[in-house]
Amino acid sequence: MNAEEQSSQEEIRRLRARIEQLEAQVAEVEAWANKAVAEAQVKTYWLDRWHLDLNALMRRRSADRTRAAARRLRSVYRAARGLRRSS
Amino acid sequence: MTTVSAVVPVKDGERYLGEVLSALSAEKVNEILVIDSGSRDRSAAIARAAGAEVLEISPHEFGHGRTRNLGAERTTGDLICFLTQDATPLPGWLAAYREAFDLAPRVGAAYGPHIPRSDASPMIARELEEFFATFSPTGDPIVQRQGDPQFLSNVNACYSRECWEELRFRDLAYAEDQAFGADLLAAGWAKVYQPRARVLHSHDYPFADFMRRYFDEYRGLRESTGHVEQFNVRETVGHVRRSVRGDAGWLAVRGATRAKRLRWVAPSAAHHGGRRVFSALGSRADRLPPAVRKRLSLEGRGDASPPAELSTSPPGAIEALPSPSAEGVTIAPSIEHQLYEAATEVWRRGPARLLDPIPGMAERERLRIALVIPSFSRGSGGHSLLFQIFSRLERRGHVCSVWVQDYSDHLQNVWPAVLRHDINKYFAPIASPVYNGFAEWHGADVVLASGWQTVHPALLLDRSFARVYLVNDHESEFYATSAESALAADTYRHGLHCVAGSSWLRDLLVERYGASAEAFEYGVDHDVYRPRPIERRTDTIAYYARPETPRRAVPIGLLALEELYRRRPDLRIVLFGSDGPIRTSFPYVHLGVLDPEPLSWLYSEATAALCLSLTNASLIPKEMMACGLPCVDLAGGSAESSFGRHGPVELAELNPLAIADALDRLLGDGDLWKLRSAAGLDFASLHTWDRAAEAVEAGIRHALRLREAGI
Repeated sequence: MNAEEQSSQEEIRRLRARIEQLEAQVAEVEAWANKAVAEAQVKTYWLDRWHLDLNALMRRRSADRTRAAARRLRSVYRAARGLRRSS
Repeated sequence: MTTVSAVVPVKDGERYLGEVLSALSAEKVNEILVIDSGSRDRSAAIARAAGAEVLEISPHEFGHGRTRNLGAERTTGDLICFLTQDATPLPGWLAAYREAFDLAPRVGAAYGPHIPRSDASPMIARELEEFFATFSPTGDPIVQRQGDPQFLSNVNACYSRECWEELRFRDLAYAEDQAFGADLLAAGWAKVYQPRARVLHSHDYPFADFMRRYFDEYRGLRESTGHVEQFNVRETVGHVRRSVRGDAGWLAVRGATRAKRLRWVAPSAAHHGGRRVFSALGSRADRLPPAVRKRLSLEGRGDASPPAELSTSPPGAIEALPSPSAEGVTIAPSIEHQLYEAATEVWRRGPARLLDPIPGMAERERLRIALVIPSFSRGSGGHSLLFQIFSRLERRGHVCSVWVQDYSDHLQNVWPAVLRHDINKYFAPIASPVYNGFAEWHGADVVLASGWQTVHPALLLDRSFARVYLVNDHESEFYATSAESALAADTYRHGLHCVAGSSWLRDLLVERYGASAEAFEYGVDHDVYRPRPIERRTDTIAYYARPETPRRAVPIGLLALEELYRRRPDLRIVLFGSDGPIRTSFPYVHLGVLDPEPLSWLYSEATAALCLSLTNASLIPKEMMACGLPCVDLAGGSAESSFGRHGPVELAELNPLAIADALDRLLGDGDLWKLRSAAGLDFASLHTWDRAAEAVEAGIRHALRLREAGI
């Protein structure tokens, strides 16, 4: 085998190793993505079960109002708690 | 001149019946038929006194569609008018109907408005007025054809006999008139709204009864037309506010005092709000428990008719097609055809191109595997087996995903998280994500088809290196000669590498279809299926009797047990595997569909078992063996191939007497019993799901190697 052939074989080996490495990375990324999707599916079980689309729900004006009311209630509660602690 | 018959179904209708019948006589109707379905008041006597013909039927014979068909059959008029027992025709009613049928060719039916009685609440009175005004704002008769409102009401309607004979009323529990309206338009007939054919009619039920009536009404509408009433809290509040304001305005126009208007505010709000709620509930009655349905129904109906999509199958529509004036019937597309469409797509443009193989890929430690499964339900043995294997492929480090091919529409509205939850609950724990359909398909190293319904869709998936077919049975034999049997057979001819659930099945695939195939053996979950600490009975036969699965040859199994029972009258027979009890000539204990844990106790307690399969041997005999229970299966087929002629299973020909003989031997010959039981325990101990998964993985890698080798 001459030097040129040897170097070409070497190049093929190196490229195959690189392909393998990249494929392993793809599998790694996909495994990570699949895990994330599976975990999300566990979390959204009840939302999916009742066909609740939170994005659509939160786009409503009433949702904004409810959140604002909850924030106000929370600030009142915290203020009351702060007062009790300081007294 | 056209003759007119009037049909009035009656039950306890004495309050208005006399008034209705005298109005009909005044209108000079040719014939009046009153159909009394078990009145306990004077209705029948009132009808006879009014000169009407009375037909008495028992209450259980009554059906809104059925009874009206009976009425039409028993009368002779060219036009048939249907009225309810409390709908009083106003002067000019019949002349108006006669006029309606002359307005256009092929008028099949006409209907008129309901004028509220003087005691009607403002909510009802306004609603009736406004509702009927929508059909004809000008007050002139309107001819309605296909595409116009389907509304038709048998409170006050008139039909041409020719049209009724062609379509007839559907035998529905409710809303047979609405169904007729839809059928009539779909069949190319016209109907007429005639504002001058007026009747006095309104209800004054108590609030609760009104709500229950709405429940019935919308349930009927769903059953007859498929209509589902939407419900939205915010929109409902707005609607109630507008309606209360509308009622007050209506009262004001009629000169009601402020005090009277105020008095009606609360009843009006309750009526309109309650109506929205009960209409929505009625539309979804099929999802409510029977006891709740019964309580909510004014008619006390607890049964659940499946909702029908009316427009897809109008009876009589096919007959109506040849009519010169018919415009044809539009049939909505159905998801049921997706299965066949995938096959057609494969035939049309061939399978999706596979990616070029990468050398050494088959040896790669971690593969990306996409499992395609058919839709499932609890208790599916095939899916249980699939996920036993698939969960182990996950544990072996492969990157897995599950894709559900819903060829029926029963998973159409099920979201992926719910599917994943159900798979974990019913079958085996999996960590992979689940997808309903292929909209999010992102490729995989290997696509693993399972079940014939998944093969054509899997062939259309791109971005993969190989396709493997996990074959659990020769599924074309599940069907009589049919499109399904042909399509199932077709799946073995597309060059997918098959991993078959027994060597018998592998040989069949190779010999009959020329497929490339290898075999794996089903495993047993030894944590569950093991001899339990319970005394073994000497008089009990456990039979896996599942008549829903024809390949289980249940009639022959039952004949065999009948014979055995004749020989051994003290025999205790236990049947399991099917929810409904089976009719037999012998007494037995019915256990229904059992979970693995109680099954293992049954297998540990019974003396012998019977489990037949006319196609591939199933998992069940192995699970029985793992509990030390000797089993009878069929000789000459897959069972003999899997277990051997003199192995752990007592084999019998497909003949009730031969099967009874085999069971008799196990019951009567202690030595034979011990031999089979011990051989079964040994045999089962060799079979685990880990081994099965290992064999399937080897099959997957083999498929990749075949690709690499260009085969």
